[in-house]
Amino acid sequence: MSTEEQKERIELLQGTLDLLILRTLILGPTHGHAIAKAIEFNSDEVLQVEQGSLYPALHRLIKREWISVEEGTSENNRRAKFYRLTAKGRRQLKLETSKWDKLAGAIARILRPAEQENES
Amino acid sequence: MSRRNRMLDDLEQDIRDHIEIETRDNIARGMPPDEARYAALRKFGNITRVQEDTREVWSFVWLEQLLQDIRFGLRMLRKSPGFTAVAVLTLALGIGANTAIFSVVSGVLLRPLPYPEPERLVALASYDSLPNMEDIEKQSQSFEALGANTMQRLDYTGGAEPIQVFAITCNAELFQALRAKPALGRLITADDDRYGSPGAVVLSHGFWTRQFGADPSVIGKSIPLSGNPYTIVGVLPETFWLPGRPGDVYASLRVVYPAAAQARNVHFLDTYLRLKPGVTLPQAQSEMEQIDESLARAYPSFNQNRHRRLVPLLDKIVGDSRRALLIFFGAVALVLLIACVNFANLLLGRSASRQREIAIRSALGAGSRRLIAQMLIESTLLSLAGGAAGIVLAQAGLRVLLALSPRNFPRLDGISIDARVLAFTLSVSLLTGIVFGLLPAWTATRPGLGVELKESGRTLAGSRASLRLRRTLVISETALALMLLIAAGLLIRSFQKMESEAPGFRPENILTMRVELPAARYEEIPKQRLFRAQLLDSLNSLPGVRAAMISELPMSGDSLSHDLVIEGRPVNPADAPEVQTRTILGDYFSLMSIPLLRGREFSGQDRADTPVVVVINETFARKFFSSQDPIGARIGWAAETPVHWKTIIGVVGDVKHFGLDQPEEPAAYDLYSQTDQPWKRWMSIAARSSRYPSELTREVENQIWALDRDIPPSSVLTMKSLMDMSVDPQKFNLTLLAIFAAVALALAAVGIYGVVAYSVTQRTHEIGIRTALGAQPVSILSLVLGEGARLAVFGTIIGLAGAAALTRFMASLLFGIDTRDPLTFLAVAVILICVAAAACCIPARRAMRVDPMVALRYE
Repeated sequence: MSTEEQKERIELLQGTLDLLILRTLILGPTHGHAIAKAIEFNSDEVLQVEQGSLYPALHRLIKREWISVEEGTSENNRRAKFYRLTAKGRRQLKLETSKWDKLAGAIARILRPAEQENES
Repeated sequence: MSRRNRMLDDLEQDIRDHIEIETRDNIARGMPPDEARYAALRKFGNITRVQEDTREVWSFVWLEQLLQDIRFGLRMLRKSPGFTAVAVLTLALGIGANTAIFSVVSGVLLRPLPYPEPERLVALASYDSLPNMEDIEKQSQSFEALGANTMQRLDYTGGAEPIQVFAITCNAELFQALRAKPALGRLITADDDRYGSPGAVVLSHGFWTRQFGADPSVIGKSIPLSGNPYTIVGVLPETFWLPGRPGDVYASLRVVYPAAAQARNVHFLDTYLRLKPGVTLPQAQSEMEQIDESLARAYPSFNQNRHRRLVPLLDKIVGDSRRALLIFFGAVALVLLIACVNFANLLLGRSASRQREIAIRSALGAGSRRLIAQMLIESTLLSLAGGAAGIVLAQAGLRVLLALSPRNFPRLDGISIDARVLAFTLSVSLLTGIVFGLLPAWTATRPGLGVELKESGRTLAGSRASLRLRRTLVISETALALMLLIAAGLLIRSFQKMESEAPGFRPENILTMRVELPAARYEEIPKQRLFRAQLLDSLNSLPGVRAAMISELPMSGDSLSHDLVIEGRPVNPADAPEVQTRTILGDYFSLMSIPLLRGREFSGQDRADTPVVVVINETFARKFFSSQDPIGARIGWAAETPVHWKTIIGVVGDVKHFGLDQPEEPAAYDLYSQTDQPWKRWMSIAARSSRYPSELTREVENQIWALDRDIPPSSVLTMKSLMDMSVDPQKFNLTLLAIFAAVALALAAVGIYGVVAYSVTQRTHEIGIRTALGAQPVSILSLVLGEGARLAVFGTIIGLAGAAALTRFMASLLFGIDTRDPLTFLAVAVILICVAAAACCIPARRAMRVDPMVALRYE
C-alpha cells in the first residue's frame, strides 16, 4: 500500500542522502536550501530530493556530530544556519564513500553477467 | 537549553526560510508568485511530517508523542465531562467488583500458606486417629513429620472469671510439620508428648497478651485448665496460624485426653503432613495405599475400606470455598465484560461524533497509525481512571464482603488489596483500555474519510456499520446480563425454598448455651447427674421459663454418631451403618415442638434403674424399620462388647440438624439419666421464655454459677440466630450474585439506552419526514420501542441459551430447584425486557417530539 512504499523510498534515500550531504559540505559550510540545490545540480537533476527530507537528515548528522551548525548570512543577506563538516564527519565521509564504492562495485559485478546473458 | 531544544526551536524558521528561498528562485525563473510558492511547497513535501521526522531524530520522539497524545487526550476528555464521567464510572464498577473479588481469590486460593516450603505440606482428606497415625509413621518413608491436632474447649479458671479457652490438642510433630518456632521458651516436645507426662502448655500470642499482659516471666508458671495444672513452657509468635483454628493454648493430646488419643476407631484428628524433600504427592499416595492395606489386615474391624487420600494442605483448607469463589469470579468477570462492552459502545458513539475532527486531522497529515494510537491513549486514560476509581470502590466493597462473609469461610483474615491485587487491577485496566478501545479506534479511522469532509456533518455511510456494531455489542451485553440475572434468580429461589423448609421444630423464643463440666471435678457419673438434675430443676423453677438439655443441638455444628446394630439382624462390625445419637434430659421434644409420631416420649418412669429406652426419628424408622414396627425393637452400638440393648419406645419428627439445606440423618435420642458416660460431660441448655434473650442469659448463668462458680457457659445464642447462621453461606452467595446481577442489569440498560438514543439522533431527519407525512406519535413510539425490543429479545434469547448451558456449574450452590428452573428463566427474561423497554422511553419521547420543520432544516 502507499504508506509502505513511501516508507521504503524514504529509507532508501536516508543513508544515501546522508552521504550526499556530507559530500556537498566538503566544499565548505553552507545552508539548507543550498545543500538541496547542490545535490540536485550535481546529479544533473537526476536525484529529485523531496527537499523536506533534508532536515531530518541534517539533524541526524548533527546529532552524530558529523556536521556542526553556525550562524551565518546567506547570499541575500539573511541570517541563516550554516552547516559545516566536522573532522569526525570527514572521516565518516571517507568511510562511507569507500563503502559505497564497494557496494556499487558488488552490485555492478552481479548485474553485468546478467546483461551478458541477455545479450547472448 | 539543550542542543536538542535549540535545534528544534529553530526548525520552523529554517523551513520557512527554505521555502522562501525556493519561492524566490522560482520567481527568478519566471513563475508567477502564487505558482512559485505552490511549487516550492510541493517540492518541500509534508511540512508537519518533516517536523515530526526531524523531532524523531532526537530519539525521545515516541515518548514525546506519547506525552503529547496524553495531554491532548486529557484535554479532549476534560472537554466532554459527561462522557468521561459515564465511561469512568462504568469501568470503575466493573474493575472495582473484579478487584474486590480478586483480592479474596488471591488471599484464599493464591496466597501461599504461612509456613516455610508450603508446597511440601499435605493432609489426609478425612479425619484419622492417633494410633493409625503412629502406624503410618512407622510404615512410611515419604514424610518428614506427621502432625495431628484437634480443638477442644477447656475451662481456664486462672483469671478473674472462669472462661472457656480453645485448646489445640496435638502431637509434638505438628510444630515440626509446620516448622513453627517459639517466640518465647519452647514448643511441645516429644518428651511432653507421652502418656503420663506432666502437663505442658504453649500459649498463643493473643492469649498470652490478653491474660498475662505479654509478661515474659510467665514461662514456668502453672495454670489450671479444666481443673488440671499445666506448666507454661512457651509462647507462639503472633504470626503463627493454624488453619481454621484460633487456638488459645496448645498441649499434647496424649496428656490432655489420653483415652481419646488411644482410641483407634475414633477418627477426629486433622492431619498436617510434611513430605520429605523430593517426594511427590502421587508417590506418597501410592505408599499410603499400601499402608491402608496393611492396616486393614492388622485391624480388620477398624480399618476396612479407609482409602486414605492425600491432598495438598491448601486444597484441604480451602475445600468447597474454591468452587464458590470461582463462581463469583466468573460472575464478576461477566460484569466486567458487560462494563467493557458498554465502554466500547460509548467510545463508538463518541468517535462517530468526532468523525469530522478525525477526518480533518487525517487530511492534515496524521497517519492512521498515529490516529489509532491517539484514540487508544484516550481509551486507556479512561480505563486507568476507571481502574483507580475501581480500587476505591473495591476497598469499600471488600470491607462489606468480609463483613458479610460466613463465619467458616477459610483464610479471610489478612485479606487486603495488596501488590498482587494492584498488579491485577492495573493489567485489567490496561487491557480493557487497549482491547476495547481498539475496535472503536479502528472503526473510526477506517478509509472513506474523504466522505466525511464532503458531507455536511450528517453522515450515514460510516455510521451505519458502526451502528450495526453497536447493536451487536448491546445484544451481547444483554445476553451476559441475563445470564447473571438467572444465576442470581436461581439463588434467590433456592434461598426461598430453604427458608420455607420446616426445620422440624419451633425456633422462636428459645435461648441456647453450651456447658461443659470440667473433667477434674466431674469425673464420676453421679456428680454429673446431680449437676444436671439440679440445674434443670432450678431453671424450670424460674417464672415463665421452660428448659431442657440436649448433647448435640440442631444447627450448632455438633454431632455424634455410632455404628448401629439391631437385635436379631447380625451384621459385620465393619459394615454397621452409622446413626446420629443425641442425649437429652427434660421435656426436650415438647419444648422444641418436635412432634411425636408414634409410641411414647420419655417420661419420669424412665430412670437409671429401669430398662434403657430410645426414641428414634422418622428417617431412622423409614430407613431401618420400613417393614417392621420399630416400637419395641431393640438397638445397640457396634463398638460395645457386649452390646447394651436399648428399646425403641417412640418415633419423633425429623429436625434439620445439619442446617436447613441438609437432609436429616437417622438419629436416636436417649436419656442422660440412663446412658451417662464419664466422658460425655457436655450439654446444651435450651430455654424457652418470652423474656429478652439478654435478660434470660443472665438468669441462666446465675443458676449455673449458683451450682458451680467455675463453669463458663459458651455459645450463648438464640435458636433463631443459630438457624439464620446455618444459611449464612447461602445468604452470602445470594447477596453477592444479586449485587453483580443488579450492576449488570443497570449496565445493560445504559447500553440499550445509549444505542437507541444514538439511533434516534441519527434518524431525526427520517422521523421528521415521517411526521411531516402524517405518521402518528404512536407509530413513532413503536418504531423506537421496536428497535429497543429487538435488541432486548435477541439478547434474551442468546442469554437464555447461555444460561441453560452454564447454570449446571452452580448446581452445588442450589437447593431444591433445577438448574434450569423454568419459572426463574421466564421471570428474569420478563424483567430484562421490561427494563429494556424502560430504557427506551427517554429516546422514544424525544423521537415523538421531533419537530418536522427543525428536522428537515438539518439538511
